Amino acid sequence: MEQKKSKGPLVIKTLIFGALSGFLYYLLFSNVDWVTTTYTMGGWHTVYPVGTALLFSFVHGTFASNFLSLLGIEPKGGH
Amino acid sequence: MKRLLIACAIILVCCFTASAVLAGGGGPPKNLIKGFFLKVNPDHTAIFKMDVTGEERTLKLSEEIKPEDIPMNRKVLVTLKTEGHEITNEVKRVSIMFIDIPASKVVALLIVGLIGGLLSGFIGSGGAFVLTPSMMSLGVPGAVAVASNMCHKFPKAMVGAYKRWKYGQADVKLGLVMAASAIIGVQIGIQIQKYILDHWGNAGSNLYVSLMFVIILVVVGTYVFYDAYKLQKGGKEAETTKIALALQKINLPPMIHFKQAGITISLWFTLPVGIATGMLAATIAVGGFIGVPGLIYVIGASAVVASATELVIAFVMGMWGSIQWGLSGLIDIRLTVLILAASLIGVQLGALGTTYVKDYMIKIVMGAVMLIVSVSRGAKIPAYLADLGLRPPLTPDTAALYDAISFWALVAALAAAGIIISVAMIRGMLQAKAEGL
Repeated sequence: MEQKKSKGPLVIKTLIFGALSGFLYYLLFSNVDWVTTTYTMGGWHTVYPVGTALLFSFVHGTFASNFLSLLGIEPKGGH
Repeated sequence: MKRLLIACAIILVCCFTASAVLAGGGGPPKNLIKGFFLKVNPDHTAIFKMDVTGEERTLKLSEEIKPEDIPMNRKVLVTLKTEGHEITNEVKRVSIMFIDIPASKVVALLIVGLIGGLLSGFIGSGGAFVLTPSMMSLGVPGAVAVASNMCHKFPKAMVGAYKRWKYGQADVKLGLVMAASAIIGVQIGIQIQKYILDHWGNAGSNLYVSLMFVIILVVVGTYVFYDAYKLQKGGKEAETTKIALALQKINLPPMIHFKQAGITISLWFTLPVGIATGMLAATIAVGGFIGVPGLIYVIGASAVVASATELVIAFVMGMWGSIQWGLSGLIDIRLTVLILAASLIGVQLGALGTTYVKDYMIKIVMGAVMLIVSVSRGAKIPAYLADLGLRPPLTPDTAALYDAISFWALVAALAAAGIIISVAMIRGMLQAKAEGL
């Protein structure tokens, strides 16, 4: 019961960030024409690709971290 | 005092970043333009509309280009011919900027991203040496491949560096100090490249890059691999090298204490390693292959700390490089996020894998990858020698054979890295489980 209790929040976090990550990918690829045009206009538009990469790394990176923990793949000694 | 030093390092990095961006160092070559072809004229010229400005130019098509090969109304990258320092109005090469990405290419990008991420998390390398050629083999123009990979590298390195900092492995202060000098090294590397390009052209530049690749990877890779082999056989823990111990004893202010690495050393001795990392990153896009060995054998960090700290350097340099390429509008974000989809998993796997293996395993993986990649790059040298007239031209069959060797050697490097890391990790995890850890 305790084990289930401790995994619960992890499952929820994984699902939330997984859904968010999936949504971001859907958003990007469903607007691919606007994205490829705007993101490659150079100059201050650099903020688009750089910002997008950071956003994806935060959301998808968190999902990946939680997903690995859910699979029981943890660093040695626990960190 | 500690916070002051970290703040100074961050400010230093920002200053160098700003100056490098303003100076326009790095980024795409000047003879590369992007836009749309509107019309091909009967006199072998074409009307080209520049991207962003909308300016229309008449470009001459070189004789090798057939009018039917010109993609109309699709954003393209155009390489213009150069005569010495002058950029002409003649089109040398046209590449479609945004490749189609069917399911097969998505799968390929995911596989390459996963293993590349695994390698990054484990040995600290940015992975450009394998990711950029992989993208180019899918039809991505070279400049877009470099730019898109750079934009994927820095967030991946950030996630990897964060994880390894959490595990107590990454020395952030050491990483920032090295990153500052690495940015200087990039500028030096670019100036050397420009000098060679001006005097010996593209063929000379390609030959220089390939020779540097092979010499450095073979020499350093062999040493790292041999060192790891001795440690594995001897069963002892790695010791700090005599050079590193001697340098650490020299009191040459400012002396900096790097807590995580457990080292106190003069700032002046960190500069050559950082500069060499930057120079190599600018030349052959593999700064980590000199950075990590430099941190181990010259500065005296352990392989675990060196590979973790290299991710901090990769993050700073990757972000700086991404801004440069982004200013020129060459990042294909679709490729970036597709590679990130798998590499963010791979880098975290690789990072936690380092907690299960002995120090020398990182050296084994690094040495093995360096030696196999040197074969891949070495296979390109005969073609460059032929371009320079230093050997007879290659027959089409021979050229195809060398290209195949180069490609499959890269595949072998990725496969070897994936297998060695996975086996070492699984063994370590099973052992830890058996010991109840």
